[in-house]
Amino acid sequence: MTDRRRNFLVLLLVAGLIAASFAVIAAKKTRLGLDLKGGVELVYQAKPTAQAKVDAESLNRAIDIMRSRVDKLGVAQPEIQRSGADEIDVALPEVHEAARAEQEVGKTAQLFFYDWEPNVIGANGKPSPKETTATGGANAGAAQFGLPEYQAVLRAQKRAPILRKNDTTWSKGCTAQQVNNCIYGSWFLLDPKHEKVIRGPEETEKSLYADLKPKEVPKGVKLKAVRVNPGTVLVRARAIENEKGKVTQKEPNSWFVLNDNPVLTGADVKNPRQSFDEGAGGTGAPNVTFEFSSHGKSVFQQVTKEIAHRGQETQLPGVPKEAALQHFAVVLDEGLITTPSIDYTRYPEGIDANTGSQISGGFTITSAQELASELQSGALPVKLELISNSQVSATLGKTALNQGLIAGLVGFGIVCLFLLLFYRVLGAIAIGGLVIYGIYFFALIKLIPITLTLPGIAGLILTIGVAADANIVIFERVKEEIRGGRSVISGIATGYKRGFAAIVDANVVTFMTAFILFALATAEVKGFALTLGIGTLVSLFTAVLATQAALGSMSRSKFVTHPAALGAGAKKRGWTFDFMGASKWFFSLSGTILLIGALAIGGKGLNFGIDFKSGTRIQTAFVQHVSEGEIEKVMASTGYANAKVQKFNNKSIGGNGYQISTKTLQPTKVQKIKQALDQKFAEGSTPGTKNFSSTSIGPTFGKTVANSAIIAIIASLLVISAYIALRFEWKYAIPVLIALMHDLLITAGVYSLTGREVTTSTVAALLTILGYSLYDTIIVFDRVRENVPRMPRAAFSQIVNRSMSEVLTRSLATSFCTLLPVLALLGFGGETLKDFAFALMVGVASGAYSSIFIASPVLTHWKERESGYRNRRARIVRELGAVPAYATAAGGEPVDVEPVKRKRSVSIFGASSPGEEQISRGEFQDLVRDLDVDQGAGNGGRAERRSAGASVAQKERKARRAEPERQAEPEQQPKRDPAADLTPEDLVLKDDKSAPKRKRNRKHGRR
Amino acid sequence: MGLLAWVMMGLAIWHFTIFLPDRFWGGIVGAFVGSLVGAIVIGLIIYSVKVSALKIPGENETDVAIVLYAIPGALIGMGLVYLEGMRRERANAHVLEEAD
Repeated sequence: MTDRRRNFLVLLLVAGLIAASFAVIAAKKTRLGLDLKGGVELVYQAKPTAQAKVDAESLNRAIDIMRSRVDKLGVAQPEIQRSGADEIDVALPEVHEAARAEQEVGKTAQLFFYDWEPNVIGANGKPSPKETTATGGANAGAAQFGLPEYQAVLRAQKRAPILRKNDTTWSKGCTAQQVNNCIYGSWFLLDPKHEKVIRGPEETEKSLYADLKPKEVPKGVKLKAVRVNPGTVLVRARAIENEKGKVTQKEPNSWFVLNDNPVLTGADVKNPRQSFDEGAGGTGAPNVTFEFSSHGKSVFQQVTKEIAHRGQETQLPGVPKEAALQHFAVVLDEGLITTPSIDYTRYPEGIDANTGSQISGGFTITSAQELASELQSGALPVKLELISNSQVSATLGKTALNQGLIAGLVGFGIVCLFLLLFYRVLGAIAIGGLVIYGIYFFALIKLIPITLTLPGIAGLILTIGVAADANIVIFERVKEEIRGGRSVISGIATGYKRGFAAIVDANVVTFMTAFILFALATAEVKGFALTLGIGTLVSLFTAVLATQAALGSMSRSKFVTHPAALGAGAKKRGWTFDFMGASKWFFSLSGTILLIGALAIGGKGLNFGIDFKSGTRIQTAFVQHVSEGEIEKVMASTGYANAKVQKFNNKSIGGNGYQISTKTLQPTKVQKIKQALDQKFAEGSTPGTKNFSSTSIGPTFGKTVANSAIIAIIASLLVISAYIALRFEWKYAIPVLIALMHDLLITAGVYSLTGREVTTSTVAALLTILGYSLYDTIIVFDRVRENVPRMPRAAFSQIVNRSMSEVLTRSLATSFCTLLPVLALLGFGGETLKDFAFALMVGVASGAYSSIFIASPVLTHWKERESGYRNRRARIVRELGAVPAYATAAGGEPVDVEPVKRKRSVSIFGASSPGEEQISRGEFQDLVRDLDVDQGAGNGGRAERRSAGASVAQKERKARRAEPERQAEPEQQPKRDPAADLTPEDLVLKDDKSAPKRKRNRKHGRR
Repeated sequence: MGLLAWVMMGLAIWHFTIFLPDRFWGGIVGAFVGSLVGAIVIGLIIYSVKVSALKIPGENETDVAIVLYAIPGALIGMGLVYLEGMRRERANAHVLEEAD
């Protein structure tokens, strides 16, 4: 296929994809995350129960049940997904009450039915069905008959284990000796001095102490952990009601010890619904009616029959029937809901379960509806602990979205401007590529669909820089080829061909980092990782294939035929800086910065956000002017006197904003605080707060975030090292690792010095730095790899110096180009994006610096220990007295760092005349390649270079076939610069039998 | 947090090895390993002796003094690597002399 046809087909494909993208963009809606449109996010951690372990199956079942619960809430586009090994992330857009959502979605709803009297444990530690002080008699399960929790635990812990199939605190096969995830009874942490239960019930002793804060332990108290054996459970007494039946205390400190022998569970219940007690003698109060499964029906009838018979037997002459009635207990999540009695006169043979049954007593319509809903969805197979919740107001989300879009547009604009100024026609083509990239990317976001979050927008903006970087790397190469003497057409083709490997290497590393982030990070960061990963792939397509096809098609047009149009006019001045010689000063600079950073970490530490430390942060604006003191008073009145109140100047939240930080609060408590603030600072009928948002992070979540960050960083480093070792050689991987470490630690030091908050966004940014820092390093190393065979007589420091001088401009340009959108984020993004951008800015700057001044010198020092390079250095010192910064010719002038610009007159057929068809250097190189010239055995006899400018291509070919090192230099070439490249005159045609053919050094030379 | 500070300090000190002749065992990378391992190990030993328990200082325990624990470790680590490098150099020279 000809180039022209290929370009046409690629452009056709690009156009087709653009059309398809527009169709997708028009047809599909954009899914916005909670941070952009407001809502509630709940993160749960699953814990095993006696009935189920935490595994994929139980988590998926829990997700299904939660989804059905969410559907009942009427939430549009909810997202419920697994996160990590044992977490479930629930995002409920446009839900404003976190407390209600939490109650509805995550309630475990473990429902059990017990035959009451025979199972209540009395003072003697045995079932005491006739001991009314233990059972409550006619008032079964009432709070006045229960024990304080501490006493109940002591009574329960004396009981021997009874292992039954239906035990709720025993996993089959577990023994008392096994720990963790093997449930054998339940554990309680006691304060014997004050007779209080500090914690419990927990499945393991270890869980009792998890995240136990010192302030939870009263001074001078030695806590005691006790186990209640399987077969015995504690249930809380019924809620206390007043005479009118209104609940006055929902959770009294009154407990009963029960034989853990439930006869039915929530799984035996069907079609539960909220209803009213309107039957004969009914109170009209709300209740929950339900039916039983076939198994449930027979068991229920049998049990109620036994209860009725027992009541009949208990009946004493002259004593009212009510005193003899026996009870059935309904226990929901360790609390007694109701203890209905079975009237043996009405149901002597038990209750026919075919007509269903009901749970009544103490319900409001809402609570009855909630219970019905929970029973309808079924009990969750695992326990769910709410470890993080956040609530974002819709206005705040909208503002954040606007800020993100503005930052994106500004970033895009300045990148375009830079490209246009620096690369002219090439820049215009690159801008076209970026626009196409934007269209594709937006279509993909809608098509997949990707939920767009704030970090996702940050990822998107960053990929604009990455996409532009790919173009810069190629364009610099194209310019280099054209400046080197190639025709524009040939320069474009060769530039793309040679730049491609570096682009692929750099993008693969970025993609791998994004993948690791996606696999390991928390949900918030996943959005960023996904956009970064997809953006990297799309940019590879648009920046390499699309722009190449466009340029190729235009290559004969007058717009690009003149090198100046491509910004490839005469190079004014090349870099001649001795990078390796100066490296000691740069090392000292880095060492000093790190030293200061380390001391700052010791002195100031890192300001970890609540993502890591746990706690609740409320951000809200007030409709009227309030002072910190007034807010503190309200907080104290709600029981949070230690809350930290700070003025919060953020235009997204509106004026008069405050940030309130407290220990971790459950959504219900956050709701109470909001109500208190609304009331206190109300302006007429307008509630006191506006744009109220809150984030609560439990200690478990903080640990998960920290652990996943560490694992992600280590995994990234390992994968990156492996990739570099495979693509280059293993010695190149170590300097890369050192440079990455340098970048990460410098960023940490800067964070410590500036006191900026470290959040999950910072971690995502750090991981991005890992990928991005490598981009620059790979560009430099790629050139070093290319120059190694080209300079078979030079010291390694000279090779690196030359490589650096060749790629420094592009390295600076790519870093600058990436910094542009990052600066846009920093200037125009909201608080989250600014956090993100700050870490990226430090990291990208540090990454560019370390690629040049840390990774390359380390590689140089290490490689120069190899005997081959040591010999070269020794020889150069012996012959020249010192190793020049750059490989020099005999006269001391630099060798071929920059081809001499002169009128090309080389022709393989002899001197060309003005009227003759001229060929470019690249074309000449191709002809040499076609002739398959090989190197001679020696280089002697032609010490002087005849034509530096016209020799590049030949030298490249020649050098690739040359030995990296010659141990013995012929004595008869004293004037020959020992470090200089090979010259075209050194080329010997293949039919020169004196020239033994050497094997290609595949390790270094790719082309 | 203590570990992070020690690694930072070790890395910071390592940067100044560029002024020394490259006689480290394993070169500049050998010095890097020596510095980091030394900083962590000696830092850990000093801190463990201080608190009478083998533990890494957490966020609240880390202060400037604890960060400085890394300095002797980094120097010792690099010193050992340097001495080993010299020993190997001498051994090689000896072998070459014998071969001549």
